[in-house]
Amino acid sequence: MKDNRLLDGRAVQARILDEVSAYTAEASARQPLGRLVSISIGDIPEVAVYIRNQARAAERAGLPFAQEFWPANISYDACKQRILDMNDDADVLGIIIQRPVPEHINVRSLQSAIHPLKDVEGMNPASIGNIVYNDVALAPCTAAASVELIKETGLDLKGLEVVMVGHSEIVGKPAAFLLMAEGATVTVCHHMTRSVAMHSRRADVVIVAVGKPHFLGADMVKPGAAVIDIGINQRVADDGTVSIVGDVDTDAVKEIASWITPVPGGVGPVTVGVLMRNAVVAHQRQIAAGWL
Amino acid sequence: MSAKIIDGKAFAATVREKVAAHVATLKAEHDITPGLAVVLAGEDPASQVYVRNKGKQTIEAGMNSFEHKLDASVSETDLLALIDQLNSDPAVHGILCQLPLPDHLNEDLVINSIDPAKDVDGFHISNVGLLGTGQKSMVPCTPLGCLMMLRDHLGSLSGKSAVVVGRSNIVGKPMANLLLKDSCTVTIAHSRTKDIEDVCRAADILVAAVGRPEMITGDWVKEGATVIDVGINRIPAPERGEGKMRLAGDVHFESAAEKAGAITPVPGGVGPMTIACLLANTLTACCRANGLSEPEGLTA
Repeated sequence: MKDNRLLDGRAVQARILDEVSAYTAEASARQPLGRLVSISIGDIPEVAVYIRNQARAAERAGLPFAQEFWPANISYDACKQRILDMNDDADVLGIIIQRPVPEHINVRSLQSAIHPLKDVEGMNPASIGNIVYNDVALAPCTAAASVELIKETGLDLKGLEVVMVGHSEIVGKPAAFLLMAEGATVTVCHHMTRSVAMHSRRADVVIVAVGKPHFLGADMVKPGAAVIDIGINQRVADDGTVSIVGDVDTDAVKEIASWITPVPGGVGPVTVGVLMRNAVVAHQRQIAAGWL
Repeated sequence: MSAKIIDGKAFAATVREKVAAHVATLKAEHDITPGLAVVLAGEDPASQVYVRNKGKQTIEAGMNSFEHKLDASVSETDLLALIDQLNSDPAVHGILCQLPLPDHLNEDLVINSIDPAKDVDGFHISNVGLLGTGQKSMVPCTPLGCLMMLRDHLGSLSGKSAVVVGRSNIVGKPMANLLLKDSCTVTIAHSRTKDIEDVCRAADILVAAVGRPEMITGDWVKEGATVIDVGINRIPAPERGEGKMRLAGDVHFESAAEKAGAITPVPGGVGPMTIACLLANTLTACCRANGLSEPEGLTA
């Protein structure tokens, strides 16, 4: 039986992809769409599953998707040059840098090299700056996915008390600004916060992105709250079986909260959906800028 | 009254002294003089006063001041051409375009045409994003001044609960980012916030930047909290005679001072820090442009 307390990320993704494919069908009838380019640097097994999910979603959304695999020993300068070439290439719609990258590559600098109009991951400082200034159309995917899932509850974001646990640059901080732009009162907690529970217990919505399995327990949540779990942690049981768990003790918290995102099947699929939607925004902005 | 009064005027003077000392060293050791260009379009009287003060203090700190006064009717093309020229001028390390601009000019476009490395106001979209992602950036002057005062008074800010009231682009949001960078637990409260008094009462650090005179009263303040009042509001002061006005902050000073551990007054609190931080930012930009180490205690 379907548990209504679980926010179904796959359904939200399907809805987003339907919207995107309606757009791409129309747009590609006028002019072929450029491709989304996924860049993996070095052989990093854990990104394979991400790329596969993105490729599948792109196909469903009618977006050409190309995978590039660059050698682990490639220099930073060479990477940057290839990205600059893609910035100039009208057949490239957007650029995705799969993380992690080898240690000698400064991923932040590479993301800054991507032209803001091709920055479908929303990681260029200019994209982040736009979010801070309330232009939220092209946001980092995971942060935007969290907001999408909060909206799914039907709660009115204006005046909503949201506690964001984790202040990472790719999730926590942009999510805080997105929510603020929607009128929420946001508190950002992190590893230096004296008592996360003191803050999270008063929140209407708790978002957790700390990378610690089952960090958020039932005693940290207000009855009736919504809980968004961004964590993806691998757990190896005593018998050697591997499972994926979030940062929230889902089974326990579910008894207290009114809504909770499962892991897997919550934020993850929506993140991929948002990536495709960002590609549409990039396309529209490239047209508006006279590039296409 | 129990709170310590944080004297912004005196503290700003020490910041300016630090800047001047560093500028003198730059000159002596590297033969470099930091330069600040201020662009003023139109004749807004308040802006003229600001620009005059900025120029005066820039020169007092031993830096070069370049003032560009343009007609209110200046075309966007001409203004952008000037900024372009300042961007490529190696003697100019900081560019400040005095706001507000005349109505026919697009402020965003103008600000974003400044080289981010010379954007000493910290309003360029790239600087906003760099700060938002915890990277090296130019930081807006007013919140930088607040941060310096907080560090001076409290030492480490790590683990403290900070509440910023007001979510403006020039104060509230950058302030929140700076406090996060210093490892505070940060809440931004604003007009939509429910139970705002309760939220404020939980704060070890309370920064008020809403532009509503004396909105925050003593019963919003936790015992011993540090209160930074960014507001500058002109309100009627009938007690001083008919038609008289006075300056008031966003905090009701007398009642808040009963509860706070320390508090900034208005005037004489945050206000004087803003130009001091503009000088600090110009110096920082100059050091970065020349590949020299940044001045200690003057950056975020």
